[in-house]
Amino acid sequence: MNSIIEAINKGIEQSGLDRNKISIPSDIPFEPETVKSLGVDYFQVPRGRAIAFGSGLKLGNPELKIIPVVGDLMTLGGNHFVHGTRRNMELLVLCINSFVYHKVAGKSVPVVTEAFSPYSTFEEPFNFPHLGNSCGAVYTARWTALHTAELAKSIAEALHKRGMSMIEILAPGPSYYRYVTDLDSELLQFYFENSTVKNDEDPRNAAITADGKIIVGKFTDKERATFIDSYNIQHTKILGDAFTPHGSLPEKTGGGNG
Amino acid sequence: MKADPKSVLTGVYYIDGDVAAGYGALAAGCKFVAGYPITPSTEAFEAVCHRGPKVGTVFIQMEDELGSISAILGAAWSGAKTMTITSGPGYSLMQDAIGFGAMLETPFVLLNIQRGGPSTGVPTKTGQADMMQSRWGSHGDYEVIAIAPDSPQEMFDYTVKAFNLAEKYRCPVMIMSDECVGHMTEKVVIPEAEKIDVEPRRLFTGKAADYRPFSPGPDLVPKMAKAGEGLNLYITGVVHNENGHPVADEKYKSACIRRLVDKIRINKDKIIELKEEGIDGADVIVVSYGISSRVAVKGVEMARQKGIKVGTLRLVTVWPFPDDRINELAMKTKAFVVPEINYGQVVYDVARCAHGHASVVLVPHGGAGVHNPADVADAIEFAVNQEKPMEGVHEFKTRLEKSVFEGGFKLKE
Repeated sequence: MNSIIEAINKGIEQSGLDRNKISIPSDIPFEPETVKSLGVDYFQVPRGRAIAFGSGLKLGNPELKIIPVVGDLMTLGGNHFVHGTRRNMELLVLCINSFVYHKVAGKSVPVVTEAFSPYSTFEEPFNFPHLGNSCGAVYTARWTALHTAELAKSIAEALHKRGMSMIEILAPGPSYYRYVTDLDSELLQFYFENSTVKNDEDPRNAAITADGKIIVGKFTDKERATFIDSYNIQHTKILGDAFTPHGSLPEKTGGGNG
Repeated sequence: MKADPKSVLTGVYYIDGDVAAGYGALAAGCKFVAGYPITPSTEAFEAVCHRGPKVGTVFIQMEDELGSISAILGAAWSGAKTMTITSGPGYSLMQDAIGFGAMLETPFVLLNIQRGGPSTGVPTKTGQADMMQSRWGSHGDYEVIAIAPDSPQEMFDYTVKAFNLAEKYRCPVMIMSDECVGHMTEKVVIPEAEKIDVEPRRLFTGKAADYRPFSPGPDLVPKMAKAGEGLNLYITGVVHNENGHPVADEKYKSACIRRLVDKIRINKDKIIELKEEGIDGADVIVVSYGISSRVAVKGVEMARQKGIKVGTLRLVTVWPFPDDRINELAMKTKAFVVPEINYGQVVYDVARCAHGHASVVLVPHGGAGVHNPADVADAIEFAVNQEKPMEGVHEFKTRLEKSVFEGGFKLKE
């Protein structure tokens, strides 16, 4: 988690944005010191509600940049992601995928943690970039906790996108460290050996499987009217001068400099 | 502070309670509404969607009720006055985040147009069976304010008041209306903006380094902040100290939670609003709220024609409950009669406060309709004829219940 915080920090720095205008709603607990060092506003919300809470923050004050950080493989609140992406709410969703890749019986399989799943897991993980891309995200990427420089660059790029961006981050959850203490370097070694960078890969081909390599990179980078753009366009069309647009209008059609 | 003239739709209208509540929200300065339309509350959401864009109020139809309430909490923390609108199952889905809102001391208004339950229940007809859920619905200890209007005019007036209370006490405020009042169409007068008082957000104005998000003021309510002001907010639903930082120590837990309940309990005399009529010398007092108080008027009239001295006490504010007033009246009257559209919710609080000094008679109703006023009149007559106070809560057998299952199910031998 520390390497991800550092990547968020560097990403914000590279983006050149005002930290005071950045809010992080998250269902993953951050330490107060971490938030202080990032210089942002932080809200720890009920499990699964970071994207919905973030949508409210954004609509309450469109000047804010919102980075919902979500965990638990988006099992809780997955629908907020699907619909937030469909309506292109301007959020940068960082999805911490805590599936840990570990060799069991000579074969690499995703496990949640040994503590929670003593006999390993038999479910397939989500292909988040594909999910995000097919719902209409303007930016999708996947990196591991090993790819901190690439992750920071992605965060900086995505913060300038107008619309829903999502970056999947493969990283062990805190409970992993609690129960499995000796695999830290082994895991990073695993990420090193088993991941391959394929920018612009069709996210349909980026599924995480038990045997194949983990494909990381930036998969989607496009433009589409945001929820607030569409809200303004529709009401201006019907109400004319009786309607005052909400928030700032895009600089050019479709907007964005990412 | 007075309402913004731009947001007040001054005029005389013939509208239903739902629409009146929507207009009340706009007048109160509500700038963000998130909802997931559900019968019988949809007209309120529609009213906001129709008029909102012209007065600078943003709306969004979220993907579900969990999203709706989470979004209004987020918008509240970016500085907007916010509301969500729901009914029945939607209200149940919101419970988790209601506790979160209470814990973060977030001002917000929740309009619940109650329908028949449980589950899908009777979506198109009335009920008053969410009253205890409004008080205890989320896990953990907290206090809310709940208001039960009984006419479209009150739906306007008390929606404005609900926003003011939410800002003043930084707590969830529930408008616990019902399908009958929501769909009742009557004359509604919306006054000029200068006649409408609105409570501004109590924002922190000092230096960023001095801000402690949960440091209480003299009335136990802390000053609020909003995101994006450089305050480096750390806000969590975890039990926290005055800085907002998580603490697991029981002494902090007590301080954090105790204040959430005390800021309402200690200020309750300023919050509670009751409407009393004919109380002096009454042998029976009818305690009611929402649509049941409109029906009770007829029942009271019928009982008075029989020469019984009846008073009425209407709970405009249901929570916090007027313990002291009920207790005081219990010493002076013979009985309380409580008609409500459920099988006993608020009546148990009446009994708790009556302390056995007066009989407490529940006139129940299963929902999907309202009481027959004759049942209320008969319950009053029954109550006044008791020689001494009855124990506990006596359930009156209504005509409806006698006709369908002889007034109560029994085990077969």
